[in-house]
Amino acid sequence: MTEEPYRWLEAIGNRREYVREQLKGGSPAFAVKMKDGILTLGVGSGQSKVFELFDRHALAALGHPADIEKIRQAAIDAAHMEAFTRAPEDVSLRRLISFGLSPQLKTNFEQIFSAPFLIEMLLVELGATPETDIVVRLHFDGAFQISTTPVAVAAAEPEREKAAQDWLNEKLAGSPDRKSVVERCLEAWWRLIEGKEFSEEPPADWKNSLKDKVVEIGWLDRNIARQARYTPLTAAEAGL
Amino acid sequence: MSQPIAGDFLSLLATRQVPALKVDANAAPAQTQATTVFAFHFKDGVLMAGDRRATAGNVIVTDRIDKVIEIDATSILAIAGVPATAFEMARVMQTSFEYYRRSQLQQLSLPAKVRALARLLRENLPLTMQGVGVVMPLFAGLDQSKTPAEPKIYFYDPLGAQFQAVGYAASGSGSGTIRSVISFQERYGNPPPSKLDLKQAVQFTSRVLMTASEFDAATGGVNPETKTFATIKILDAKGVRTLGEQEQIKYLQS
Repeated sequence: MTEEPYRWLEAIGNRREYVREQLKGGSPAFAVKMKDGILTLGVGSGQSKVFELFDRHALAALGHPADIEKIRQAAIDAAHMEAFTRAPEDVSLRRLISFGLSPQLKTNFEQIFSAPFLIEMLLVELGATPETDIVVRLHFDGAFQISTTPVAVAAAEPEREKAAQDWLNEKLAGSPDRKSVVERCLEAWWRLIEGKEFSEEPPADWKNSLKDKVVEIGWLDRNIARQARYTPLTAAEAGL
Repeated sequence: MSQPIAGDFLSLLATRQVPALKVDANAAPAQTQATTVFAFHFKDGVLMAGDRRATAGNVIVTDRIDKVIEIDATSILAIAGVPATAFEMARVMQTSFEYYRRSQLQQLSLPAKVRALARLLRENLPLTMQGVGVVMPLFAGLDQSKTPAEPKIYFYDPLGAQFQAVGYAASGSGSGTIRSVISFQERYGNPPPSKLDLKQAVQFTSRVLMTASEFDAATGGVNPETKTFATIKILDAKGVRTLGEQEQIKYLQS
């Protein structure tokens, strides 16, 4: 199949299509840079979308749970190894992604006889100030972008993801409180899942679709004195 | 030195006229020692404290060392002995406990944490036997199998045997004085240390350290005028909390 160059290109194209198809219907994940920290949010069915990676680092993802788990473990291993051999302050998201996760994902994606990773994810690093916070959008093929806006979204379809991100950045401009941020993210989640336009107003009972779901919220606190800044929040703790 | 037994390694050296090694304690480099840490149960949980002096022989190396270390959100280590080894043990514990919690998505149990420290002490046996790396730590952790979670205190011998302390534990060169005072107070004090509130417990801690420093040159005291305070950490059902200088001043002045 790969003896001719165009066959390889075709195989890669098919693979990309296959991954996108598999990710369709995946529950989107959100990351919001705020004055007092970074909030990550996902809606799933348990501890499967939002995770602590290291002292100032967290991950929110959609995709196959086994693939998310592999990436999560790899990131945790790399971060702790770096922290132990050097110092916790030396663990940086740029290095973790540029030299660790991204090359691994790219290599895996291009090995067309192995199963591809079915994931889309957001990785965040808490800085000393909101300006130094870093949010990275990492794709299944190893491509990544460093977010330049306060809100970043990971969704299965790129166009819908962009629409959600623009809408949230507009709605969450200024310094919103945590409750408003969570509510707006959930509203964006509902629109993405239901395939609704962002110009439409949601019906009064849109929250019913959350009834059989678990809202996972991770909070990286800028003001806490402890080394480990990550706290999982319940919906009630987030003000809902 | 005892005579070599026929056939053993030392007798082999003797037949080849190779002088056997002699340990000269005076030739060893002066070790930095960290001293006097203690923990006791009070009304709200466990208070663990330490003075801030490190000495090498009769030299005071520093009066600003922190010997009470937060290992994770629910456990504290207090070090007495050679800090080079003790700080490394703390670093290994911090990394491994947090690694376990993050990767397994659950806390390491208290018995496992207690044994992890015992294993580090056992692995340090060669340095302990040579007399250049002795560490006798105290450990406090939260037993989350109980509701509400219960803070517990453990002390160790240099070979790694672990013991749970009922009311209090102390380690380091000033520990004799500390143990005597806490034991006396527990029996005759009113209220005893186990019934003190936080303010009283902080005042008691500072006074105990001041007393220990009067009898032990390797124990630094508490002196608000030179801004020398104890390192104090509290472990209660919610986890670990550090009492900074300002909070200690507030309690000492009230």
